[in-house]
Amino acid sequence: MNAALRSFEAQWRARTPDALQPIREQAMQRFLKLGLPVQRDETWRYTDLRSLAAQSFATAACAFNGALADEPLSLVDAEQRASTVVLVNGCPPALASIPAIDGITINSIRELAKVDPSFVARFFEPASDDDQRRWVLLNTALFTDGLYLKISTAVSAPLVILHLSSGEADQAAHPRIIIDVLPGSSATIIEHHVTRGDAAPLSNSNTHISLGTDAQIEHYRVYAAGAGASQLDALDIHQCARSQCKQFTIGLGGSFIRSSLEAHLSQPGASLESYSLLVGHEDRHLDCVNIVTHAAPDTRSRQTARAIASDVSRVIFNSKVIVKAGAAHSDSQQSCRGLLLSPEAEIDTRPQLEIHADEVKCAHGATTGRLDPDMLFYLLSRGLDRETAQSLLVYAFLADVLSGMSVSSARSAIESALISQLPDSQLLRKFR
Amino acid sequence: MLEISDLSARVAGKEILTGVNLKVNAGEVHAIMGPNGSGKSTLAQVLAGREDYEVTRGSVTFEGRDLLSMRAEERARAGLFLGFQYPVEIPGVNNVYLLKAALNAKRKAAGEPEVDAYEFLALIRQKMKFMQMSEAFLSRGVNEGFSGGEKKRNEVLQMLVLEPKLAILDETDSGLDIDALKVVSTGVNSLRGPQRAVVLVTHYQRLLDYVIPDQVHVLSGGRIVKSGDKTLAQELERRGYDWVMESRVA
Ligand SMILES: Nc1ncnc2c1ncn2[C@@H]1O[C@H](COP(=O)(O)OP(=O)(O)OP(=O)(O)O)[C@@H](O)[C@H]1O
Ligand SMILES: [Mg+2]
Repeated sequence: MNAALRSFEAQWRARTPDALQPIREQAMQRFLKLGLPVQRDETWRYTDLRSLAAQSFATAACAFNGALADEPLSLVDAEQRASTVVLVNGCPPALASIPAIDGITINSIRELAKVDPSFVARFFEPASDDDQRRWVLLNTALFTDGLYLKISTAVSAPLVILHLSSGEADQAAHPRIIIDVLPGSSATIIEHHVTRGDAAPLSNSNTHISLGTDAQIEHYRVYAAGAGASQLDALDIHQCARSQCKQFTIGLGGSFIRSSLEAHLSQPGASLESYSLLVGHEDRHLDCVNIVTHAAPDTRSRQTARAIASDVSRVIFNSKVIVKAGAAHSDSQQSCRGLLLSPEAEIDTRPQLEIHADEVKCAHGATTGRLDPDMLFYLLSRGLDRETAQSLLVYAFLADVLSGMSVSSARSAIESALISQLPDSQLLRKFR
Repeated sequence: MLEISDLSARVAGKEILTGVNLKVNAGEVHAIMGPNGSGKSTLAQVLAGREDYEVTRGSVTFEGRDLLSMRAEERARAGLFLGFQYPVEIPGVNNVYLLKAALNAKRKAAGEPEVDAYEFLALIRQKMKFMQMSEAFLSRGVNEGFSGGEKKRNEVLQMLVLEPKLAILDETDSGLDIDALKVVSTGVNSLRGPQRAVVLVTHYQRLLDYVIPDQVHVLSGGRIVKSGDKTLAQELERRGYDWVMESRVA
């Protein structure tokens, strides 16, 4: 047993049981039995966790000794009339302090579990051996508390969940969010992961989105942790009939990010659009896994990923579409484009398909390269200087993902943060 | 204006240009014709400064300057324009942005101030009207989803906005319908003047009915094998390239 596993087991032993004990127990036993994933595991081929496994972790505290107000934390401006809820190391604020939002009920997961454990249990996946779910097991066992959000109408203003990671590098936090969008309801939720201070705890977060019949969500997760930070984040999406999910995953912070998305299109007409914008900068290692399961007829998924890698960074994007038997007329597309901006950077992409049904439409494509020399020459031949031409092409590369974002202030904040990590950022700002 | 002597160039290790000699004076229009694969586009791209085309011999001067020592962007700013045979699509880069950046790059090089937004828009509107192009093209990505003919019109639009001293138009007439051919020809003619020159690469005599050339050259096997006046184009149309090759041997 490695140091990390031992320390997680010690944390498990030290905690007092709560209303979710049976679920937690199962998850922890499974986690201890399987251990941390290794590179032999299917979805971990490109990521070596050995140095992380050699560390021990203590539970990160709920407290944050700083002033949040004077820091530019928000991705949205006042115009959007958005609300922000801040979670420190996964701990939700006192519920009384959360402003009331029409159409959204916010609860503590632990409090809710005291009242109705079987209701809460519905939003926990059964314990699984799948290697992409290993850290979720740990989150289920150890999460202190989290937020349950119920969306019961069409909510227009976005809600920002600010995940603040603060403390020491030998600590770990397990933020957990449940987003329950009732039939016919809709919302825009932005999860923004940041750190404060020079060091930050390991963050192992999980978000579960449940979309009722005809429900809609536009969901963002923006990884913007400081240098040195490590983050693992898993997103589970369950979609009922004709529900629509538009999801943006933006990786532009931290030193190590492992991000996964598992979507289940469980009923006819469910549709998922997933966009990933993965920026490798300095020595960042950014490993992204998408697994989309079409489990019902007439379901549709679109996955668009753009990866940029500069310096000595490494970006990985693995996506898999599974079409279950009986999911006739499923329609899926996976497209990944990678752009290498330095000779030492690396991008790995692997689109996969697993089809068990007839009459399906599945397309996938992945390309990685440097800036297109024909495009570059065209711009130069019009008199643009080389730096401008290159920046313009990098910007164009990102444009399709950015233009899909409907929260304009989030879009421009994300754009600005992205640009600052690209070469010639001053020039790039001119194109906005 | 342009003087090419003994120009040889290699592409991907293969000798494509094998000693081109050509002199274009200010005020002139030259047409270059020749069989497919003879090196016409290669010549055009070498003149525009494409780096992966390696010049192995010869020299080129443009207004007395050593063209081959200038980078592509410097050549453009000095007044050289290449209308591409196959204009590339650049999704995500706005057409109007490119026009403005190109115009400003040229003005900056000439020590002029950047064009202001109103002045620029007025200029673009006027040129687009002239080219009979809808303003909807402005907000689209550069050549993105444009039809073959629309791409060629867009090249001419850029040329009209930039007002180059030397325009090299590589098969700008290919793929145009009759009306578009007239529009493009009017565009090219509007640029003719004592201070400017045009080099037209074309396969068709019909363009030369609208834009009357001072000289016509035949490029074959990477060099100019025959030159003449506009009647040469008519003769080529009648007798084909074999005739040129035969008359050379004879
Ligand atoms: N990148 C390249 N790699 C290999 N060969 C090339 C490359 N570019 C051009 N060539 C070859 O060089 C020769 C000349 O090509 P070029 O495009 O200059 O011909 P062209 O005279 O413009 O023909 P066309 O009338 O068909 O436009 C051709 O045989 C072509 O295949
Ligand atoms: Mg050609």
